[in-house]
Amino acid sequence: MTKITEHIIDIDTSLEPARDGAIELVPNPKTDSQKPQLIYLLLPCLFLLVTLLGGMRLGAADNAFFFLKPALICLVFASVLMILFFRSSLLQMDGWFSDRFSTLQNIANAALLLTMFTASTQLFNSLLPENGLPFWIVGFCFFWTLWNNLFADFDTKKLLRSLGALFGLAFAVKYLVLANLTATGDTSLLQRIFDNPAKEAFTWLLDLPRYSVGTGYIQFFAVAIYLIALFLTPSTTKK
Amino acid sequence: MKANFFIFRASEKPCILKVSGNYTMKEKYIHILGIALVALGLGFVAFLYWSEPRTLAEVATKSQVVLGTYEINKDEFTRGLALFRSDDFIGARAAFDRADPEKRDANTQFYTAYSYYRQGWGRLSNDDTLFKPGLETIDRVMILDPNFRSSDETLTMKTASELKNELEEGLKLTPDDFNPMKLTRERK
Repeated sequence: MTKITEHIIDIDTSLEPARDGAIELVPNPKTDSQKPQLIYLLLPCLFLLVTLLGGMRLGAADNAFFFLKPALICLVFASVLMILFFRSSLLQMDGWFSDRFSTLQNIANAALLLTMFTASTQLFNSLLPENGLPFWIVGFCFFWTLWNNLFADFDTKKLLRSLGALFGLAFAVKYLVLANLTATGDTSLLQRIFDNPAKEAFTWLLDLPRYSVGTGYIQFFAVAIYLIALFLTPSTTKK
Repeated sequence: MKANFFIFRASEKPCILKVSGNYTMKEKYIHILGIALVALGLGFVAFLYWSEPRTLAEVATKSQVVLGTYEINKDEFTRGLALFRSDDFIGARAAFDRADPEKRDANTQFYTAYSYYRQGWGRLSNDDTLFKPGLETIDRVMILDPNFRSSDETLTMKTASELKNELEEGLKLTPDDFNPMKLTRERK
């Protein structure tokens, strides 16, 4: 004998008034600050561009590409910077990684933060002088500032202002002051000493690398794009 | 046999299901696209910093090497071979460099090393400034193809090890260098 079981299920009655029986598609409400295209497509592109440009230099003689790998200290500075981002609520941990998100979203968020980390590393690679005494002086200044910021009270705006000032000053020191002290002639050593002894002396004394003027332009845009990308980064990816 | 029937009961009116299907799917695709973009972007940046190309053209050739589609420029190689046979070794090496900018072809590098040997060879003494880069080039050939053998019948030395031995002997100063019979030897 066939046994038939009937289950009556009461569903939530707090629904909209019925229409003519069709299933209605209701779009998710959009929030301007959290559009997925901005977060998962535009921001990675911006950070990847900074990652590419941060280590790029142009040779003085023939504008050949040089791709400088970041020093270990750049990774340390970038790690400290990421900690600062979370401490100052520029990024909220539960807004980026949560068990309420799907696995795919968590992975996508992790990928974006990875590009932010690599961009930060390359930014320090861009702003730190390559070698010699300037490397140690500027590196120490970065270390001092970041170390102080770790123990200071920051909100997002103050952190962004502080970073803007820090990176702006480092850029001016490296690509305006030190670049103008560097002799970039492609003639012989004796000819260069004869033409401009002061610049040759500074170049030798401070061990300044000889790069083309175009390097400064590239790094200017790298710093600007990084700061814009930071500004566009939402504190949370929750809807 | 057992059958289960489920009856949905609401208030007097039929219910409406709120579905946000295709918008959730769109976000899922955006997540996937974002992850792929990051993976590809980081891979490309890592490739550039590992291969260190000097120009945009080198980016293309180094990409070919990585993808395994690298081929030499046959026209330049033929031009270089013609210059090599007419004893214009500097022009030949320039043509071989243009033919094989990534220095990945054993045959081209063998001819380059041979051009260093022929140009640097002397009846009384050899030119070390040419034999040394020749030795570096033939070492590269042996790395690219340890069993390389040239099919060119006009060359006396056909294998990399023969040429390497000749270059090494030419760089050394041995008692044999003072043998007067050395004046009768011929360039290979």
